[in-house]
Amino acid sequence: MIRIKFLFDRTEKLGFLSHLDLVRLFIRALRRAHLPLAYSQGFNPHPKLALALPLPLGVLAENEPGELYFTEPVKAEVFLKELGSRLPEGIHLKQAFTADPDEPALASLVDAALYRAELRDLPEISSQWDAQLFSQALLRLLEKEVILAPRRGKKHKPEYKNVRPGIIRAELKNKNSRTTAVELYLKAGSRGGISPLFLLEQLAEEAGNTFFTAQCWKLCRQGLYRADGKLIMPLPEGM
Amino acid sequence: MITNSEKLQFILAGVQKPARYQGNEWNAVKKNHSGVRVKMAFAFPDLYEVGMSNQGLKILYEAVNCHDDLLLERVFAPAPDLESKLREYRHPLFALESGSPLADFDAVGFSLQYELSYTNVLNMLDLAGIPLYSSERRETDPLVIGGGPCVFNPEPLAPFFDLFILGEAEEALPLVLHELADLKDKGAGRSETLMALSLLDGVYIPGHFKPYYSDEGLLQDLEYLGPPGRETVKKQKMESLDQAPYPTAPVVPYIQTVHDRAVVELFRGCARGCRFCQAGYIFRPVRRRSLQKIIDLSVKLLASTGYDEISLSSLSTSDYPHLDSLLAELDQAMKGEQVKCSLPSLRLDSYSVDLADRLHRGRRGSLTFAPEAATERLRRVIKKNIDENDIYTALDSAVLAGWQGFKLYFMIGLPTETDEDVESILALCRKIRERYKAKVRGSFRLSVSVSTFIPKANTPFQYEPQITLAEIKRRQQILIKGFRKIKGIEFSWHDAETSFLEAVFARGDRRLAPLLERAFHLGCRFDGWSDHFDFSKWEQAFSESGIDGNFYACRSFSYEDFLPWAHLDCGIERELFVKEHRLSHAEVEVRGAADDPH
Repeated sequence: MIRIKFLFDRTEKLGFLSHLDLVRLFIRALRRAHLPLAYSQGFNPHPKLALALPLPLGVLAENEPGELYFTEPVKAEVFLKELGSRLPEGIHLKQAFTADPDEPALASLVDAALYRAELRDLPEISSQWDAQLFSQALLRLLEKEVILAPRRGKKHKPEYKNVRPGIIRAELKNKNSRTTAVELYLKAGSRGGISPLFLLEQLAEEAGNTFFTAQCWKLCRQGLYRADGKLIMPLPEGM
Repeated sequence: MITNSEKLQFILAGVQKPARYQGNEWNAVKKNHSGVRVKMAFAFPDLYEVGMSNQGLKILYEAVNCHDDLLLERVFAPAPDLESKLREYRHPLFALESGSPLADFDAVGFSLQYELSYTNVLNMLDLAGIPLYSSERRETDPLVIGGGPCVFNPEPLAPFFDLFILGEAEEALPLVLHELADLKDKGAGRSETLMALSLLDGVYIPGHFKPYYSDEGLLQDLEYLGPPGRETVKKQKMESLDQAPYPTAPVVPYIQTVHDRAVVELFRGCARGCRFCQAGYIFRPVRRRSLQKIIDLSVKLLASTGYDEISLSSLSTSDYPHLDSLLAELDQAMKGEQVKCSLPSLRLDSYSVDLADRLHRGRRGSLTFAPEAATERLRRVIKKNIDENDIYTALDSAVLAGWQGFKLYFMIGLPTETDEDVESILALCRKIRERYKAKVRGSFRLSVSVSTFIPKANTPFQYEPQITLAEIKRRQQILIKGFRKIKGIEFSWHDAETSFLEAVFARGDRRLAPLLERAFHLGCRFDGWSDHFDFSKWEQAFSESGIDGNFYACRSFSYEDFLPWAHLDCGIERELFVKEHRLSHAEVEVRGAADDPH
């Protein structure tokens, strides 16, 4: 089997797709391109395609990694051209490489993710923004040893988990530029992490200004990192 | 032209399933608004997931957008969370392709598929800032057009619409839009435009007809006010499906829709003539697509969409004469492509079970059959020509092929129904369970769904009353209590109040418009969805508008009555409905081949 890894961007045009919607989008585009996508064996065959880390609904992405298997050899350039031209506006295929099928799955490498949240450029938002207030709130938030988050899918009998260790770094970036932004470097992946959307909600709550729900931010994932701090899928030289 | 997209992003980020409103799907058609002569928004008064499963939308999207000088964009009913945000931020309802407000289009066309979407129609007009009543619209407002099955009796909606298109619109709609383009160029005003459009076949201008009622409240007459020769409106139909435009590159949704697959329509119409079924009459005559055309469309559809499932649709798919060879050829054409084929609307017989067996892959779900009534007498009344042996033969083959789960659909409240007929549903289901529970490997699953009969315009049963709300509930109780005593059957039933409301509007007249408006102002939306439906608001609307729902739902219409839809010619003589209605009460059995409509 042939393994191909790829990097893509997701822009606002398709920012509201869920992870499963996005996987389905890729599979349908691959079928339109008549590329020889491999399927799992068994009663209900599944296409062998995986994104390194589910991209939450509402979160955009730059250089987001994914991988898939083909039953027959496909050159990376051919893959880029054939798939790239059948992806809708909003998903942009940037890079593709053939990879060793024996290397570990991309998903297993993910340890952390870098996010950038920019305040949306709307008068009703900027008029309510108070940099001082939020910068202090962020400091207070980071001083905490425990931040409790409800565990997913436990609505009826909520269980909480401390997600503070999931915050590696969080900084306000609005000092000199016109755009207000927060950079978040957060634990992620199968060993657990913290949702950037949850963290933005906590920030608003800490600042005592609940107008600033996550919907006020344009949130973009800018990289997935291994435990050693390197990108799980580095761009080749010169990119 | 494009509304503040940053604002829209902000609004959408705060609602459930925002992908419903995001657009940018594969195959979505984006045209430059200044490069076309006429812009129309196709408005579907239900959620995206429902509307995107509608074949009519796909067909018309293609039929209009294939003209370079015309444009058709989509808009769906916003869920209540988005509605409240749009109102809060005073953001007008917008079309998906361009984000333009609906009011910027030359026409807004509503797809009228079922009566319980009517309050959503009013809500969408309101959210678009378009006056609800045709008479209140200004020269600059879009024309509000209606199409779809409900146009066979659109009277409750008549005052809200500028025009309707009766019947199949894939030819008529582009003609209307081109005529509209010419009128626009000429600078024609609103009433002149409607006058001119009324000369086109299939166009119904409700404002050209004025109803009169007797002192007893019965419809007496319709005064015609339009140009001569258009006193009745003729249903439009495609002569040949092979020549009809077909959407071979339909918009592919990202979120899962109700029918998330490629669809090829095998034939239109149905020759069976079940007396309660409106689709069986209004889509006559039966027109088949040729085998070669179906294969050709299937191949194109799969290549352009990337779907892994194709549905061969029609009102009664096992009636397609070359189904065996079609399936064999399709199989050949799609070898190695991992495509699943599905056949909806299967008949209750072993031939259909064999077909389902051939097509099935992977885990076996359940097979669905609709006996509709549980006694042979009642099935004869409704002309559902199967006997109990047919049911067992079909189930025998299905169980033998490995199915363990079955869904059965029945109706209560059918004309002439007695308690014995209702109780027979229990008896039949118990018998089926007894017969098969030991025969299947694993566990035998039987679910039974019971709806309530709704008399519809342009069927032999248009003269029949619906049973009263209290009576619906009493008969449902017989079943609820009865099924409680039968183990291992999952029983569900349709809400009595929604069925009542559907019956009110199905045979309603223009006097219902104020009721609809009242219900809309009281907050009624998505009345077909049990989680949104609020009958207490409707009761309030009935009482405030002084309308007795029973007058519409539970009244027998006589053969001599002036029917609210009398001026709309569905292509079938009134005498046929009268004859069929009489036959139903004579319980005459019609066996064997279905009658040939035309």
